[in-house]
This record gives sequence, structure tokens and C-alpha cells, in this order.
Amino acid sequence: MRVLFTGINHRTASVTLRECFAVGGDASSHMDAFRERFPGCECVIVSTCNRFELYVARPLHGKPNADDLRTFLSGRFGVPMDQVASASIHREQDQAVAHLFRVCCGLDSMVLGEPQVLGQVKRAYQAAGDCGAAGPVLHRVFQQAIATAKQARTETGIDAGRVSVGSVAADLAHQVFADFADKTVLGIGAGEIAKLTLRHMMELKPHRLWLANRTHRNASELAEAIHLPASVGGARPWEQLDELLIEADIVVTCTAAPEPILTPKRFKPILKRRRFRPLFVIDLAMPRDADPAIGSMTNLYLYNIDDLQSVVADSLGQRGDQAQDCERHVAAAVTACMSQITHADLGQLIRKLRAKLHDIGQEEGERTLKKLAQHQDSPDAEALGAVLDEHTQRLVNKILHMPLSQLNQHHGDAPLGFYAAALRRLFDLEDDTEAKTEPTKLPEQAPGPDPDAETNSAESVQDKPAATRP
Amino acid sequence: MNLANPITTLILLAMTVLSVYATFGALRRLSPSGHPGRPVLASVMQRVIVAVIMLTTLGMFARFWLRDGGWQPVTSHRDGLLLMSFMLAGAVLFIQSRARLVGLSSFALPVLTFILGWAICASAWTYHPFDLPTLHPVWRGVHLTGVYLGTGFCGVAAMAGGMYLYVQARLKRKQNLGGLGRLASLEALENTIIRSATLGFVLLTLGLVSGVVVISDGDTPLPAGWWFAPKIVLATLAWGIYAVLMNVRYASGFRGRRAAWLSIIGIVLLLATYVVVTSLPPAPPVSPTASVSNGSGHTNTTNLVLPAKSSASKASVLDPVEGD
Repeated sequence: MRVLFTGINHRTASVTLRECFAVGGDASSHMDAFRERFPGCECVIVSTCNRFELYVARPLHGKPNADDLRTFLSGRFGVPMDQVASASIHREQDQAVAHLFRVCCGLDSMVLGEPQVLGQVKRAYQAAGDCGAAGPVLHRVFQQAIATAKQARTETGIDAGRVSVGSVAADLAHQVFADFADKTVLGIGAGEIAKLTLRHMMELKPHRLWLANRTHRNASELAEAIHLPASVGGARPWEQLDELLIEADIVVTCTAAPEPILTPKRFKPILKRRRFRPLFVIDLAMPRDADPAIGSMTNLYLYNIDDLQSVVADSLGQRGDQAQDCERHVAAAVTACMSQITHADLGQLIRKLRAKLHDIGQEEGERTLKKLAQHQDSPDAEALGAVLDEHTQRLVNKILHMPLSQLNQHHGDAPLGFYAAALRRLFDLEDDTEAKTEPTKLPEQAPGPDPDAETNSAESVQDKPAATRP
Repeated sequence: MNLANPITTLILLAMTVLSVYATFGALRRLSPSGHPGRPVLASVMQRVIVAVIMLTTLGMFARFWLRDGGWQPVTSHRDGLLLMSFMLAGAVLFIQSRARLVGLSSFALPVLTFILGWAICASAWTYHPFDLPTLHPVWRGVHLTGVYLGTGFCGVAAMAGGMYLYVQARLKRKQNLGGLGRLASLEALENTIIRSATLGFVLLTLGLVSGVVVISDGDTPLPAGWWFAPKIVLATLAWGIYAVLMNVRYASGFRGRRAAWLSIIGIVLLLATYVVVTSLPPAPPVSPTASVSNGSGHTNTTNLVLPAKSSASKASVLDPVEGD
């Protein structure tokens, strides 16, 4: 199997383009569509606010290739092919695996070593497993990626003393407001990052903290999850959102809405009713909940996930030493993982070979038994010996027919010398045969041994690979 | 021979050099790449400011001794500027002690340097003492205190306004946000603008009213068109701006950025008033007898249009007379 990866991330695509690829919480329909189009392939879609990545495992010689994947993404998400081609990156085999490992370790994140991405990858892998899109290869790759990330984070400390998006949002709130004792925080949506950010906001000890969600129960659950005291606030009905926006000083929004919910049209009358009090809006959703145009409105400060993460990245610097250690972990783990994938492929191959040889053996055995049955009445040792000889000859010829006929057809993907060396090594053929045999050229398109031929000498075919040696 | 001017000019020069040094340190501290915790630089700044205050006080006492006990705190525009720099240095020290106003001193020091530089000019080249003996001592005191203290508070409001615009621009542009944590919040700055503007407004009101009383001398009606004088117009405009600024919470359309700009426009108008007072020629008298001797051998050419008989006594204290 071959592992491929195609995707976009915060480095290759703008927020606007990434929004087009946002799948919200459910990527299974896309994975189903992929498998319908490319049967026999495995796939996992990792979609976060910073990246959309499609991991694929396909048979060695088959579809899809890079162009097929880009075409699929373009058609599926309605993004022009040229945009997908210019913004996407494609990796194969060990590079694709290494990319996933780096993502899990946070080495590919805007905030180096950030821990949230590991949870997001886990959930994506879980979703792929649930809908049957992840097969044995991707199971192996993702499980090892997650295990390696945990180990690398523990051993290198790349996520130690981390500065999170939530803490940066709280710092920026400090830059706008001096005192929070009379301020109101409003949380819209119930996303994971919103939860973390709201926890940081609670540390500011605001006067009120309201939560609004289309599903009231989710808001109530979020209030419980962040241990929000009833005296400070709680869940409020979605219908009161405008009134809450008038009351709020800080808004943390993270919904799965496909369209912005905070638009200039909505905010214009709200700002007047707020008497132009400063409003700090933190938009953590992807696609964005707040129209970027509201950022230019009077006394309104809008920050999206990219803005916050760039601040975090600046404050953390590059964490060079930990990153290097982590890269070493990843390199070793990728080598081991690729080796396991290759071995798994080989094991499967050997099983198939064994089954095929057993089939041949059984077929020839049945034929020989029939012949022996003819000599049952007059058991002649010479005749029986001839039958057994024939059986052996036929069996050997049948086994060698396919590989030797393939060897005679000169394929461009590997030199004949490679096959010759492989044969010598696989069958433990001595080098002295090379010295004894004069090098001869293989005839063009020479036919392989006929398995049905009674007297095809095995020795003659054994000599053929030697002729290719320099 | 009057030694006050050369000595004061030298003291002002020393203070200006120190203040320039502190200003560069402060500006460096403001730069996005500047390290947030530069304890050495911060302590140097603090020492410089303390030195400025001490030298200013010394300068005033030096003048007291040189005048043989005839010392008065503000006898010229130069003294007024010195007083303002003294108050500003005190304000910087106060600001540095307030955690919520961190970074505001970085905006105060350039203003302090500017005022000191201006005071050097007022001391060395354009020195004009006020015609104090002819004015009512109580109204004179109220007028001078109101005008200079009021301007000082308005200056603090303007510094907060400048910093507000700077912080807001960085927040809106979302660039180099990492270093913003060492600057005061927008809310704290807006509060500073409003409080300083309120104090400035009250003191300026006192200064303006007492100025009008000084001009009218209590019993004589003001001449027609007295309020057309540039300094009256400019001062009134500035006064109006501060009236709006102190009510900005109620006039919500002026909140935030607009309030910051108003605080800067207000101080620019006040400074323009000072420039008009010290630089522009006086308004032409409507009466051919308006230009009269002030009784000391000099001709008073800067008064507003007033009857010749009482022109000297009705001069504003900010109107300089030639000579000392």
C-alpha cells in the first residue's frame, strides 16, 4: 500500500480559503464520497481551524494520484482547481507519514507544540474508524503518530509552559479594559477552544458571563464544564443574542455556523444602543462567525484565530532545542512506521504467494494421483518414478513460469540486475555459477518456461539471470 | 545686571539634555522590539525625572535669592513653562507609580522635553516679564494658577490621548501585539483623558474668568469686540473642547478615538494661545490714544483695546511688556 497526503494549512492558504474547506464536526460524508469514488482505498480527513488534510492509503499501483486528490477536493468543496493546486501540498510515503507525525507533535502548528491539534487528530481518526474509512494501513499510521506525539511531548517538553490562545485572548482583553469587575463576557457556541478561552476569561473575574447557543442544552453543559457559578451567569436563550451583545464587553464566539452570525448589518444598531462602549470580539470559529468588516467599526476590536495564534507564536519564539529533539523523535518513529507498513505488505504478499503455491501443488498433486491410479494394478517402480519426475518437473515449471516470464519482459521500473540480485539472494544461489557460466544475452521477448512442457530444464532458466550480470 | 536669565537658561539646558536622554530611552522602550523589562533604563528615566524636578526647584530658589527676596513664582512666560515642566515631571512620577498607567511616562517625556526646549527659547531669546505690579494680586494669582495648572492637566490628557491612539492603532493593525502588555489599557487611558480634562476644564474656567475680570478691572465695561482677540477665541475653543471631553461618557459619539483626538486638539489650541500671546503683535487700538506709556518709560503695545487712562492696569497677565 502507498500512503498519500494532500491538504492545505495556515501556511499555504488564507483564512478565507480555509473556510471553504471547513467541514465542521462531521467529515464522514466526505470520506464516504471518497471511498465511493476510489474503492479499495483508505482515507482519514483531519479538519481543524488551521488545516484541512486528506490522508489516503491506496494499492501500490493504482488510483488516486496527486491530481486525482486535488480534483476530488476541488469538486467536493466547490473551490476552483487552480486555487486548490496553488494552495495545497502533496506528500507521499514516508514524507506523508512524517507530515502527520509532525502535525501531531505540534511541529507544524502556528503555535509550536500546541496540544489541541493532537486531540483534533484523534477525533478525526476516530471518525474515520467509525465510518470504516480507515483501514489497516491508516490505523497503523495514525496510532503510531498519536503514540509518538505523546512520547515526544513528554520527553522533549515542547508543550511545557505553553502560552495558549485563551491566555493571549485574556491578555488582549487586558489591553482594552482596565477593570473587569463591571464587565460582561458573552460566549457564543460551545466549541472546545471556546471552552478553554472562557476558562481564561473566568480568571479575569468578570461581573457577568453569559453563554448562548442555538441548542440551549449545549450552553448549559458548557456552563457546567467550566464550573460557572450561577451567581456570575449561565446559559441564555439564543433569541436574546442581540440583547446580550448590547450588554457584553467581551464576546468569545465559536459556533459551527456556515455563515457569519456577527455582521455589520446586525452590529450597526447594536453599537448605537451600546453607546459606543468598547467591544472586544474573539472569533475562534472556522468558518468565521464574525464578518471581518465589523473589525473596522468604532471601538470594536475583532480578533480571529490566526491573529491570536500569531501572537502566541511570537511570544513563544521558535523553541529551537525542543523542536529539534522532537524532530529527531519524529524521524525515528517515521522510519519504524514505514518499516512496519512495508513488512505488513510483505507478510500479506508472502501469504498470497504461499496460497498460490499451495493451489499449484494441489492441482499438480491431483493430476499426479490420477496418473498413479492408472498404475495401481501393475505397480512398476520405473513407471512410478517417471510419474513422480513428471510431477516434480511440472510443479517447478509452474512455479517458475510467472516470475521468469516477467523477468524476460524488460520492465522500466527496475533494472534486471536488481531482479538477478534478488533471485540470487532469495534462493541463496552461489556466485560460483557466475564464474562457470559464460554471460549470454537474454533473447528479446523470450518466452518463459512452458509449465506443461515435459522436459523444460530448470537449470537453463536458472542460468538466465546470471547473463544480466556485468 | 540681571543674572537670572543666564543662570535659568543654563539650568533649563541641563534639564533639557537629561530629558532628551530620558526621551530616547522612553521611545526605545515603546518600540515593538524593545525588551519589556529594561530595569536599568526604567531606573535611569526615574532618576532623570527626579533630577529635572530638583533642578527646577533649584532654579526657582536661585531666582529668589538673586532678586533679594522679591521673588514671585511666575513673573514671565518662561516661569510659566518652568512651572509646567515641574508639574509634568511630578505627573510622570505619579504615572510611574500607577500600575494601570504603565507606559504613559514614555509619552510624557517627549512633551516635557518640548516644554523645556520652549522654556529655553522663552528665557534666552524672547524673555518678556509680565506687567504684574499693575494687576490685582488675587485675580492675578487665580488667573496664573488656573491657566498654567489647567494647561498642565490638559497636557496630561493630551499625552493619554496620544498613547490611546498609539495603543489603539496597534490593536487594530494587529501587528507586534506581543509587546503591548507593557502599555496601559485603552479604558485606563480614556479614564485618564476624562479625569485630566475635567480638572483642566475647571482650572481653565477659573483662569479664563479671572482673565476677563483682570481685563475689565471690575468697574470698567469691556471694550467692544474684546472677544475677537485671537487668544480669547483660541482659549474659548479649547475650553469648549474640554467641556465636551469631560462629558464624553454621556456624549457617547465622542468616545474612544475621537476623545483622544479632541484631547490633542485641545492642547494644540492652548499652545497656540500661548504662541499668540507671546509672538503675535497686539491688536490695533480703536482709539488713537490707546498706545500709551505704562509709566515706566516703556510703551505698552500688547494690551487689548482699552481706554488710555487704565490700559496698563487692564492688561492680561499673559500680555508681556518689553523689558524687565
